Amino acid sequence: MYNLYFQHLNSKVQLTEEEEAHIKTYLTLKKLRKKQYLLQEGDVCKVIAFVEKGALRAYSVDENSNEHIIQFGLEGWTISDLYSFLTGEPATYNIDALEDSELVIISKSAHEELLQTMPKYETFTRLNITGAYLAMQRRLTSIISASVEERYQEFIALYPHIVQRVPQHMIASYMGLTPETLSRIRKRISSK
Amino acid sequence: MLFLDRTQCIGAWLGRTFVLFKITNMKTKQTIAIIGASGNMGSAISRSLSKGNYRLLLCANDLNKLQAIAADIKSSNLGADVEASDCSRDASWEADIIIVAVPYSAEKEVADRIKEVANQKIVISIANPLNDTYDGLVTAPDTSAAEELQKLLPNSKVVKAFNTTFAADFATPVIDGRQVDAFIAGHDEEALRTVTELVETAGFHPIVAGDLAVSGTLERMQLLLIQLNMKYDYNWLAGWKILHH
Repeated sequence: MYNLYFQHLNSKVQLTEEEEAHIKTYLTLKKLRKKQYLLQEGDVCKVIAFVEKGALRAYSVDENSNEHIIQFGLEGWTISDLYSFLTGEPATYNIDALEDSELVIISKSAHEELLQTMPKYETFTRLNITGAYLAMQRRLTSIISASVEERYQEFIALYPHIVQRVPQHMIASYMGLTPETLSRIRKRISSK
Repeated sequence: MLFLDRTQCIGAWLGRTFVLFKITNMKTKQTIAIIGASGNMGSAISRSLSKGNYRLLLCANDLNKLQAIAADIKSSNLGADVEASDCSRDASWEADIIIVAVPYSAEKEVADRIKEVANQKIVISIANPLNDTYDGLVTAPDTSAAEELQKLLPNSKVVKAFNTTFAADFATPVIDGRQVDAFIAGHDEEALRTVTELVETAGFHPIVAGDLAVSGTLERMQLLLIQLNMKYDYNWLAGWKILHH
C-alpha cells in the first residue's frame, strides 16, 4: 500500500521504523479507477499524490477544447498541480487516472505540519522539488532546442514501457505534436 | 453580469438568455463510502446524497439488498453515481469521505476493518448509543459514540452528523413548513465545511454546534426526541429547529 512510497523516501533520506510510522499517520491512501479525476481545473489543488500503482496524467485544456498533457505519473512518480498547491489559486490542470491506480496522498495541512516538525521530511521534499524542477528544465530545453526525434527518444528514456501503457495520441499531446506526425517519427526511428 | 442570491444560486446572462444554476463548491467529484447502507438510516442518507456531485459506494454484507437500493436510487435519479460493494475496506480505500451508518455496538468492528484506509479521511459518526429499552445511553456521561470512534480511528477526522434526524426526515426535510436543523460537531475546520455541504445537499439546515465534545449533547438530544416520539406518536417524522431572531 505504501511500499514504493517508503522505498522512494528511504532512497533520499534514511528513516527509522519510528519515523516511518510517524509519517504514516499523516498519509491518505486512495484508490482511483480509470478515468476518475484526482483534480479538476478550477478547484484548488490540496494534495500531492505519489503513484504507488497505476498511471495518471496532468493536462490542461485550451480554449478550443484541445488537451495538452503536461506530465504523466507512473509508479514511483508524484503528481500534483504544484502551482495551485503552493499558492492556493485555482488549479489550471486536470489530473485523471489512465489506469486503475493506488495513490499515497499527502494533504497540504499534513505536508506543512511534517515540514515544520520533521527535518528529514523537509530534506526529502527539497530533493523531490529540486528533481521536479530539473525535469521541467530538461523538458523546456528539449522543446525549444532538440529535434522531434531526439525528443521522442528522451521521452522513451524518461518513461520506459510507457508506449505499451498509454495511447499514442496522448504521447503526441505530451510532445506537442499531432498523432500523425508522431507516427511518422516513430516509423523513421524504427527504420533506422 | 453575475449575481449571487441567498439560495446560493448564480445567475448570468448568456447572450439573451438568463441562466440560473446552483453553485457546486467543488468540481472534482468526491467519493463517499456509506457503511451500513442497507439499513434505514444508511439507505435514507444514500438516497438524499445521490442528488449531489458525489460518487456513492454503498456497503453492507447483504449485496442483493444493496443492489436493489442502488437500482432504486438510479431509477428515481438518472444522474446518480451509485454502486454497491460488499467490502467496506475496499470502498473506504476508494473514498474521500466515510459514513459509518451502523449501530454503536458494531462501530468497533467497522473501525478495525477500515482503520488503515481511513487515515486522514473524514469519518462521519451518525450513531446514537441507545440502550435496549431506548430510555438511556450505554456510553459513560463524559463521552459519546463519536468520541469513542475517534479513539478507535485516531488519525481520521471524525465528525458527528446526521444523528438528530430520523430516517423519514431525509425524504421530508421540511416539516410543518420549517426546514429541519441538522447539527454537526468536529475538530477539523476543513472537515466541518465539507460535512456542512453534505448536510445542505441532504436538504437540512446545517448548524455547526462545536467540537467533537459536543457530540454527547447531540446524542442525548436524539434520545429525547426518540422518547418524545414514542410518547406523543410523531410517527418517526420529527426534528429539531432552533428559533432565533
